[in-house]
Amino acid sequence: MRAAAFDSELAKAGANVSSRWGAARFLARRYPLGAIGGVIMIVFLLTALLAGVVAPYDPLATNSAHSLAAPGTAHWMGADNFGRDVFSRILHGARISLAVGIGSTALGCFFGVILGLFSGYLGGWVDLLVQRLIDILQALPLLVLALVMAAALGPSIQNTIIAIAIPLIPTVARVIRANTLALRELPFIEAARAVGMGDLRIALSHVLPNTLAPLIVLATAQFGSAILTEAALSFLGLGIPEPFPSWGRMLSESAAEYVRTAPWLVIFPGLAISLVVFGTNLLGDAVRDLLDPRQRT
Amino acid sequence: MNKHTRIATRIALPAALLLAAFMSAGTAYAQKQGGVLKMYHRDSPASASIHEEATFSTVTPFMGIFNNLVMYKQDVAQNRMDTIVPDLATSWSWSPDNTKLTFKLREGIKWHDGKPFTAKDVKCTFDMVMDKSPTKFRKNPRKTWYDNVAEVSVNGDFEATFSLKRPQPAMLALLASGYTPVYPCHVSPADMRTKPTGTGPFKFVEFKTNESIKVTRNPDYWKKGRPYLEGIEYTIIPNRSTAILAFIAGKFDVTFPTEVSIPLLKDVKKQAPKAVCMVEPTNVSTNLIVNRDAPPFNNPEIRRAMALTLDRKAFVDILFEGQADIGGSMLPPPAGVWGMPAQMLATIPGYGTDKKKDRDEARSIMQKAGYGPAKRLSLKVSTRNIPIYRDPAVILIDQLKEIYIDGELDVVETANWFSKVARKDYTIGLNLTGSAVDDPDQNFYENYACGSERNYTNYCNRDLQKLFDQQSMESNFEARRKLVWEIDRKLQEDVARPIILHSRAGTCWQPQVKGMTIMINSSYNGYRYEDVWLDR
Amino acid sequence: MTAYLVRRFLLMILTLFGISVIIFVLLRIVPGNIVDILADAAGFVNPAEKARIEAELGLDKPIPVQYAKWIGGLTRGDLGFSYVSEKPALDEILPRIPITARLAAAALVFSILFGVPLGVISAVKQNTSLDYGLRVLSLTGLSMPAFWLGLLILMAFVSLTGTLPIYSAAPKSFIDSLIMYSVPAAAVGFRSSALIMRLTRSSMLEVLRQDFIRTARSKGASEKSVNYHHALRNAVLPVITIIGIEAAFLIGGLIVTETVFNIPGVARFLVEAIRWRDYPIVQNLVMFVALIVVVTNFLVDMAYTALDPRIRYSD
Repeated sequence: MRAAAFDSELAKAGANVSSRWGAARFLARRYPLGAIGGVIMIVFLLTALLAGVVAPYDPLATNSAHSLAAPGTAHWMGADNFGRDVFSRILHGARISLAVGIGSTALGCFFGVILGLFSGYLGGWVDLLVQRLIDILQALPLLVLALVMAAALGPSIQNTIIAIAIPLIPTVARVIRANTLALRELPFIEAARAVGMGDLRIALSHVLPNTLAPLIVLATAQFGSAILTEAALSFLGLGIPEPFPSWGRMLSESAAEYVRTAPWLVIFPGLAISLVVFGTNLLGDAVRDLLDPRQRT
Repeated sequence: MNKHTRIATRIALPAALLLAAFMSAGTAYAQKQGGVLKMYHRDSPASASIHEEATFSTVTPFMGIFNNLVMYKQDVAQNRMDTIVPDLATSWSWSPDNTKLTFKLREGIKWHDGKPFTAKDVKCTFDMVMDKSPTKFRKNPRKTWYDNVAEVSVNGDFEATFSLKRPQPAMLALLASGYTPVYPCHVSPADMRTKPTGTGPFKFVEFKTNESIKVTRNPDYWKKGRPYLEGIEYTIIPNRSTAILAFIAGKFDVTFPTEVSIPLLKDVKKQAPKAVCMVEPTNVSTNLIVNRDAPPFNNPEIRRAMALTLDRKAFVDILFEGQADIGGSMLPPPAGVWGMPAQMLATIPGYGTDKKKDRDEARSIMQKAGYGPAKRLSLKVSTRNIPIYRDPAVILIDQLKEIYIDGELDVVETANWFSKVARKDYTIGLNLTGSAVDDPDQNFYENYACGSERNYTNYCNRDLQKLFDQQSMESNFEARRKLVWEIDRKLQEDVARPIILHSRAGTCWQPQVKGMTIMINSSYNGYRYEDVWLDR
Repeated sequence: MTAYLVRRFLLMILTLFGISVIIFVLLRIVPGNIVDILADAAGFVNPAEKARIEAELGLDKPIPVQYAKWIGGLTRGDLGFSYVSEKPALDEILPRIPITARLAAAALVFSILFGVPLGVISAVKQNTSLDYGLRVLSLTGLSMPAFWLGLLILMAFVSLTGTLPIYSAAPKSFIDSLIMYSVPAAAVGFRSSALIMRLTRSSMLEVLRQDFIRTARSKGASEKSVNYHHALRNAVLPVITIIGIEAAFLIGGLIVTETVFNIPGVARFLVEAIRWRDYPIVQNLVMFVALIVVVTNFLVDMAYTALDPRIRYSD
């Protein structure tokens, strides 16, 4: 669906689209769960942007006097074994989760789109080759591939993003390819071909914009799963290393040790992950309903 | 940690000694035969061959399969020269010039497969450890222990002699370690890795990687009436919180020795108040390896500044809730036999109590070297991707900030750690060093001698090296200890391998477990378990 | 149809071949190998010794030679020896498969048991507060890290019952083994049940709008019979779809859950083997997992054709 048709679609549905605010209000009424998801994501984004201003403590500063301090006025969410403030670390951790979510989704989508677009549009041996590559990547379980990649690349933020992005590629490529195949036969593409446009130009200027809707739906869903994969990798000792306050790392093996003596170390980061992924899922559902009417429930 | 345990730990040594004495004397009549001891194991050891491994993950479950020539008395918590007792050897004697150590061997002992044990097995074992045998170990971590042994010879079936290049009274201590079992000649190293055969109180049953290890009572054990247990089952549980939950739920009789961290111990105390818990030094030090060959730490002044900024008490408070020891290279007293006395320690730069003064001095050194608030020094702190390594590194980085150093943690996978260290591809590394026996020979030659493979920093001081030999040959305890203190002080002043702390850890068992002794100055020598019994 | 089957089969073989090359090469270009790890246990690296052990294990040969040896062995049913335990890789892998298979089956049963009925209820009561509640619940299932959920379940279980469902090779009774598997299965299956519920719901809604249901209603079939007989039968497809999609995902959930609950299955074994760089175990296990995924997807496709007359494969 193209952006131009979007307003008229809304108008047809009875929304007052004369102002952006009106459209937003209409959407919120139409998709109450999606609106909640949107609010969660906005809070998440603001947290990531403003962590440095809002956080009461330096997320890396250790303090032996506050080691394992329980939640209270000094530390809203308690302190970890190093005496680091959990609340501040969660605020800063939003940045890392955001980086991992956006970074790996963007990277995975970028390569997935390229592969899917060309394999779908060009067909022939390119398609055959790409399809096999996709088959192979898809038969390898996401976490297994990420595990091997993380072990291969070593623990760091960049490598974690790459390790999570690679398994995303085939999913994206498959969806884009299917869409491209369908689009290829449409009259306006044939028209472009008739006027002598090159394959590359058609693919980029006509096919690509028309696969945006399914891509957005997919990317929203993948954003959440990227955050979950990062958490699992960190739990298994790969993923993002100390001292970065990644939520997954905060939950990792050393924190799990305090699960009974200092449960706040396990509960708050886990809640943070769940809440953000929950937000993306709610938002993702609404986005899918809006952009992909065939799947509307 | 409640007050009760805190006091208990402070008086750990006398209490443990008393307890040991009480256990062995007072309850001698009450031991019961039978029962299978259930213990969890912290990880899956690489192999079952003690000679080929350098971790107590292997020694703990497999020490009971074997006997040594001599061993540390299993019910005395502190390893000392005077607690070494006969094992496969019935007696030992030194030649007048102190270079020949001869063992008389026990007769009539059989290996678990029925073949007789003779002096040849002793020669085979040590020839292999010294790399003089045609059959090779896959790896041989303790070859250097025997650098001073010229030859092991046999005289008949029941006498073996170690000929030394120079006198070394501590040779006996090395032979008493859990790391030094006697292997059979007739079993290949590969079989010893997968299904070991020994003469000990327990026979090998099975070792399933990542799952379990089982040993069973040797009914033909030469020590009559031992072992009390029918067998021991180790379930491998790498996840510490799961393991402790299982112990609290009563699924295990004993935790893995010295594997319960201080915060987890609190949990055990609260949830399983009947459990008996001991917190003891493990003779494992957390230390820094500093690359002395590359900037900035090729400058001794910057090394000194780093030593001054170390707030050891903060490390101890955060990582051990106060329950760890500060000392030099040798384990500090009272648990350690050779550690420097507190007054001596306090005179070494960085060990003083006035941290503010130390750091002021460190900052002025840094400023002289051209650094300051505006020009900070950036460097990487490398360490292994394991919590016990990573956690102190996090604190170190925070403390380096005080003296204009911005450290970035460089986490290295286990597979790449030693090759990185060997390449000298690091600036500061956070390292753990475990001492198998509380003896200066083992520690100094392994970690500080010129050219030693485990001397990661290549610290080499020829004058000090002469003192190493001098203390090694000294047979008078007091005289030797004086020398050892001097050496240790010099090592710390040279910032050879700054020791941050000596860790302590807890071991817990259910009340029905009796006769268990946790050694207080080594994590490698106390797992024969032939005297352990179950009261149920 | 036969031509399609043959083509699918050949593609399957091609995919597996590709995976074998990728995993084989990937493992060997990763910095650090088993010898480094063994040296680590010894506390230092000795280059001469390292070279000797590498030669012993055949790691000094060129990668294509090593690969040919592995594949050659595979065709004869010889998987090589574990570098760590030095036992045949097959003997290490085989006994662990049933453990993970039981856990996966229990998780699947759990997810169908909860996912399908809740999905149906949610669809039938569309846009009621019950529907919203159930949808939020299912989204929650998709939002929680599996190991975190496992940890919370474990904690709750110990707090409530004072005991721990820890794995044992020989459970004393049926009840014991039921508890042993069902608690971790709940942790793994929560996610899948949420997915099944969502899909059941949406396909139920679609089916309920369709002509033959209207016909059934007009013929006087009771509301209950319509919902639970006609509609549900048509909602089997999503469950099969999920099994296909989740086969690869489930492995991930199994890895962390086996770690949290200390279940000695293949999933955790794989992680340990990666940590040890135990190539023979890793490459054979990955091939095994890939085989499962590929075959599952194949069967799912077949089931689709069998169940849904609208789908026909042409070639």
